[in-house]
Amino acid sequence: MIWTIVKREMLDYMKSAKFLIGLGITVILITLSTIININDFKQRQQDYLNAQQEMKGDRFYVQVYRAPQVLSTLVQGKDRKLGNSLQMTYLGLPIRTSGFMGQYVSEHHRYLAGFEAVDFAFVVRVVLSLMIIFLAYNAISEEKFHGTLRLALANRLPRDQLLLGKFTGGLIVVVGSLLVSAIIAFLIMLLHPAISLKGSDWIRLLLMLGASAIYLVTFYTLSLFISVVINRPSIALMILLQLWIFLVIIYPNMGVILSEKFYGLPSEKELAQRKDAAFQPYEEEYKKANEAFSGAIRSGGRPSTEVGLRNMELTIKRAELSYQVDKEFSNRLSHQMKLAQAISILSPAVVYDQVMDRLGRTGMDEFERFMDGVYRHWQKHIERSKLLYKDRAAYVKAQLPDFTYPSETSSRCFVVTLPQWLILVLFSLIFFTLAYTAFLRKDVR
Amino acid sequence: MITVIKRELLDHLQSIQFIVLLCICIVLFLANGMISVKRYNQQVSFYNEQVSSIRQHPSTIMTMLYREPNQLSFVVEGGDKYRPYGYTLKQKGVLDAMPSGPRNFKLPEIPELDWSFIIKVIFSLYVILLGYNAISGEKEQGTLRQILSNSMGRIKVLVAKYIAILLTALVPLVTGVVISLIIVGIFVPQVLTLINVSRVLLMLLLTLIYLSLFAFLSLLFSSLILRSSLVLLILLAVWVLFAVIIPNTSGILSQSFSRVPSEYQTAKMIGPMIQQQVWARIKKISERVDKGELKTEEEVKKESDRAFNEGQDELIKHYKSYEDAMKQRAIMAENLSRLSPTALFQYASENITQTGTKREENFLNDARNYAHIYDNYILEKLGKLVGTSMWSFSTDMMIGGKSVYIGSPWPQEYQGDKSDFPQFVESQPSVARSLRDALFDIAGLIVWNLVLATLAFSAFLRADVR
Repeated sequence: MIWTIVKREMLDYMKSAKFLIGLGITVILITLSTIININDFKQRQQDYLNAQQEMKGDRFYVQVYRAPQVLSTLVQGKDRKLGNSLQMTYLGLPIRTSGFMGQYVSEHHRYLAGFEAVDFAFVVRVVLSLMIIFLAYNAISEEKFHGTLRLALANRLPRDQLLLGKFTGGLIVVVGSLLVSAIIAFLIMLLHPAISLKGSDWIRLLLMLGASAIYLVTFYTLSLFISVVINRPSIALMILLQLWIFLVIIYPNMGVILSEKFYGLPSEKELAQRKDAAFQPYEEEYKKANEAFSGAIRSGGRPSTEVGLRNMELTIKRAELSYQVDKEFSNRLSHQMKLAQAISILSPAVVYDQVMDRLGRTGMDEFERFMDGVYRHWQKHIERSKLLYKDRAAYVKAQLPDFTYPSETSSRCFVVTLPQWLILVLFSLIFFTLAYTAFLRKDVR
Repeated sequence: MITVIKRELLDHLQSIQFIVLLCICIVLFLANGMISVKRYNQQVSFYNEQVSSIRQHPSTIMTMLYREPNQLSFVVEGGDKYRPYGYTLKQKGVLDAMPSGPRNFKLPEIPELDWSFIIKVIFSLYVILLGYNAISGEKEQGTLRQILSNSMGRIKVLVAKYIAILLTALVPLVTGVVISLIIVGIFVPQVLTLINVSRVLLMLLLTLIYLSLFAFLSLLFSSLILRSSLVLLILLAVWVLFAVIIPNTSGILSQSFSRVPSEYQTAKMIGPMIQQQVWARIKKISERVDKGELKTEEEVKKESDRAFNEGQDELIKHYKSYEDAMKQRAIMAENLSRLSPTALFQYASENITQTGTKREENFLNDARNYAHIYDNYILEKLGKLVGTSMWSFSTDMMIGGKSVYIGSPWPQEYQGDKSDFPQFVESQPSVARSLRDALFDIAGLIVWNLVLATLAFSAFLRADVR
């Protein structure tokens, strides 16, 4: 019996104009956005490869480039916005990357900041979730409104089977729509010569598909619940649309605003004072060493090994202490971000974004891993720079190893995002349980 | 007609979507007022601190030009948080932007909770929710036939429904606006000047034009399609296209379409430029020293100064052309996004309230004008100008067996009385000029209205109401 209901529901959904229009819009959007994003990725990848070859830096200025992520074609996250380039010297290390024109000069973000990207994650988060609401808002309310619910339940059909049948039928359509969209996006990626996917990328793509499915099921079960509770379909739709606006647009923004309000950041002046205070114990010695070094240069000679080395060591000490203050500030920025995420945890859209960014390697965690790698590279650069005074011949010979940083395995990524997966599942379970209980207690007359 | 308007209005005011919209508006405008007041006070205190510091320590090496905090940022923030809060002005009119962007780059980028966001996203959506079943709903229930069987013409019915939708939307809008203005008026009363109030009134008029477009759009589809749920689906698809997809994709599309060099291509030029303009010439000077053509330290410094100066000028030009290229790209993105009425509304409201790109442009024009005054002041005091870029150069040369330090020239600080140091004052464009700047976008919105109104009336006049 349940399969009859499932089949009928599926047929009803798939024959409906709203499903066909919704799916049409989704397919067009996914196709266009994936093609646009792949072309953008191709350009960024080419710039990255060219920069590695053509803008290598020298022994004083060391250039490090951040490769664009292939999965940014589906989840842009912060990948385009954070910049791809970083310049380090033994005099200092910035705490963030910039565009190719360098820190404080790159204008890309400034001029195009207001323009976001449309990608697979966006289409699922906004367009498909809206479509799901449209599909399911009248699943029960319409039957009740037209009196067919009473007729259906007048047969030997238990209520739970009817609801499960409707749920399963709708679920298959929802997951089916997602699959169609995902297959189109994956096929475009597979067939495009600029994209080369590794095994781990495929695992991540499958996980993205899973996360998207759970996200959509959350909205589906929410719609089912409202449809059970509210008798008039038009009111059910209104309530669902208000909830959607709140959960997808308003609430996530509130999280950021509140975190900025409740978690203060030190001013630039305070940071400068902390840096000065950290270097204070070495200040006197540094002045002397620097004076000795400059004096040797001014007199036309070369500074002695001891003078040169001590001057460099203290310069490095200052850079290291300054970096520690900046790093502490960077940690505070991360805490503020985490607070915003924690405040918005009740929004499925925010939780979904967190999972997708991590899976696409386009979130802040990937950036932090990159920056940790940059710090280790900087340490090697400092060691090499010290050779200038310790052993000049060794300095001339010493080559910095190519910059790398450890990548996160797919399984690790899954484990780390497990709480977010569970939250999405929990939302679905709660809404389904509520819908189920409400339906069992519902007056169907 | 008044009766129909009254009936429609009553229906809307009793509807659940109106109550929810009213509640959401009160919360959002309340939040807008409170957040804006706090931010404005912080910006004013920072601005005053910086300006007073410049006045106390005027410098001929470089000076800072700060943007005055925008009093109407609570109406339209216009992306100011991504723009530098000021520029460093160096000699020869070199303007370097100060750091820009939100301090916490790790936070998700969210739209500013200003009036323009609330109107362009929330209100446009609610106008759709109010109007999607204006015709199709009546037709589904069979009441449309009854209304039209009276002596009332179809045009009058449609006009009445249109007016009712707009009036319903106006109630929460005016409530919200008043709440926001009360908060701003209490905590920062200096903001409510006559000019600002007139700009706010213009903004409300613009809002009416913008919302009217969505009312016509809803009436058009409601007349064309019989089923209300289908009308709503199509309208929401159009809304997503206008409010989200077109404005957002235009940024990435402009990169594909614009022919200006990319950031990477521009960055790649710096190395060879330095090699050719500076180090190749320094090498030639060194060769001339070796050949004995340049004998004294003075001769060498004169030649190297010229080489460094010309190199700096080239670099300054290069950075300028990079900035122009990025601006071109942003202008292209803006123009592409103008396909969407939501973007037209955003740009028009930025112009009316003097925020956004136009404000930045005006500020830079003022800064360039001031740069001439600043240069003239330095010429008067010191007699020469030295251009500096992001780069500085230094080397040493052996002249007559002695190592001589050769460095790129550095601007000098005037040590005398600087009480006549010129002050930078940002000009305030008149309301008429702001309106002129916004004219193109307003015209675009009016065209959208005219086209959609014509289509809506034509569709309703031809509709089969049985």
